[in-house]
Amino acid sequence: MSPVTANTFDAPKAGRWPLFGWLSFAFFAFAQVYAVATSPADQMMGHLQKMMYVHVPAAWVTFVAFGIVLWTSVLFLWKEDERHDLMAAAAAEIGAVFCGLTLILGMIWGRPTWGVWWSWDARLTSTLVLFLIFVGYLALRSFVEDAQRRGQWSAAVGILGAINVPIVWMSVKWWRTLHQLQSDPRSLSGEYALGLVLNALAFLFLMIFFIRRRYEAARYERAAEHASQAAALGGYNG
Amino acid sequence: MAFNDDIRRIRAIVWKDLTTERRSKAGFNAVAALGVTILVLFGFALGPDAQALRDAAAGVLWLAVLFAGVLAFNRSYQVELDGGALEVLLLYPGARWAIFAGKLIANLIFVLAMLVIVVAVGIVLFQVVIPAQWPSLIGIMLLGVIGLVSLGTFYAAMSSRSRAREVLLPLLLYPMLIPVLLASMEATKAFLTGDIMNAVGAWVQMLALFDVIFLVATFWAFESVIEV
Amino acid sequence: MASNEWGYVGAAYALTWIVLFLLLARVLGAVRRAKAEYESAVKGGYNA
Repeated sequence: MSPVTANTFDAPKAGRWPLFGWLSFAFFAFAQVYAVATSPADQMMGHLQKMMYVHVPAAWVTFVAFGIVLWTSVLFLWKEDERHDLMAAAAAEIGAVFCGLTLILGMIWGRPTWGVWWSWDARLTSTLVLFLIFVGYLALRSFVEDAQRRGQWSAAVGILGAINVPIVWMSVKWWRTLHQLQSDPRSLSGEYALGLVLNALAFLFLMIFFIRRRYEAARYERAAEHASQAAALGGYNG
Repeated sequence: MAFNDDIRRIRAIVWKDLTTERRSKAGFNAVAALGVTILVLFGFALGPDAQALRDAAAGVLWLAVLFAGVLAFNRSYQVELDGGALEVLLLYPGARWAIFAGKLIANLIFVLAMLVIVVAVGIVLFQVVIPAQWPSLIGIMLLGVIGLVSLGTFYAAMSSRSRAREVLLPLLLYPMLIPVLLASMEATKAFLTGDIMNAVGAWVQMLALFDVIFLVATFWAFESVIEV
Repeated sequence: MASNEWGYVGAAYALTWIVLFLLLARVLGAVRRAKAEYESAVKGGYNA
């Protein structure tokens, strides 16, 4: 019930994060080149296997981002510190982008492999539902002005959405097994593993960088609102 | 006894909401008419082949109930907001969950009444052959509506008090309803088309499980949604 | 198996890089805009 504490609105610091960003992008470029150069053509999938190095890390990073949304939402409802709410918003925005990327990459992979752009299997469908939940979450944030209200509502929506995703996965899986069994041809042999791990780390670093900088922007916005409020109430240094 | 007080609060809110609904009537009639209209539109999309209609009937019935029911959820708070009554309701002593329970039960009765009309018209329009075990079908519909209404009442508590509430509620609610709708549709479909796969039991169990999960989650989260 | 598999692979990698760089531009732009807004708000406060 208590209003969000005021001492959290000091301006954020960029610190070494720009350097971290440069290193992340360099490492990402290295991981991509390494993976594409070293992986032999797969017996089943041929060179299409190389898509694994962008699709699978994007999918993993999506779920990590949504995990951050869940975790910071719980923390916000618990501790009522607005920084957690801003972090949840940043993670949701970055996560939504990676989720959309995952879906489109999956379609580009599915078309030559399965012959269709989309298949209603549990993994695809629950990822799509996750994307829709991200979109709803961000829409809710953009439609609510009051900070306290926006924080508590979006935390509730984030937590319920996180509960929903495994349930969707379970129900769609059961739905699919009844209709027809579709085997998933994705499997991983040793010579592809290192490239995948490197790319997964690179995506993880990029995600951390993006979320941190987005969070910084959100902190600046809130700090600006408070500075102008304080100015209106009679002097910033008073 | 504190618990008895909560029960009385719940009953008072249910009674209040249903009385408002009964006095105006316009809301219920319009929503039920919309449900029937949606059935007719789906009939044009799928018909006129009788078998195709019969196969799709279960899904169409649930979608018609969903699309029409969504209007009821926002309404249930909108009536309060128009009169400035929600703040007063929150000022009364007692647990907040009692407000949610009251609204939930009122919406449940509203949607079930609409469901009766939609299903009756749907059976005729979609040439459904009523199965011999039709009493079990009522149980499935009840379970499905409980899931639908618990999530709908919860999300409407936010959307009705925000900008763009007409688009926000479906945007938030529909993805959340996928498991409940899928289980309800499949269980109903298995019943109506003859349970070849012997799957009704599993779907009903899942539906009941989803209801419990979402009821617990919405009751827990309502507190932090309604207080601001 | 598709004959033009390199086309699909190339599309996937190109898309990934484009999305990541657009995201980078968007995020850095948001930081810059918010920082400028904050600084002008603070300055406005001193003037008043």
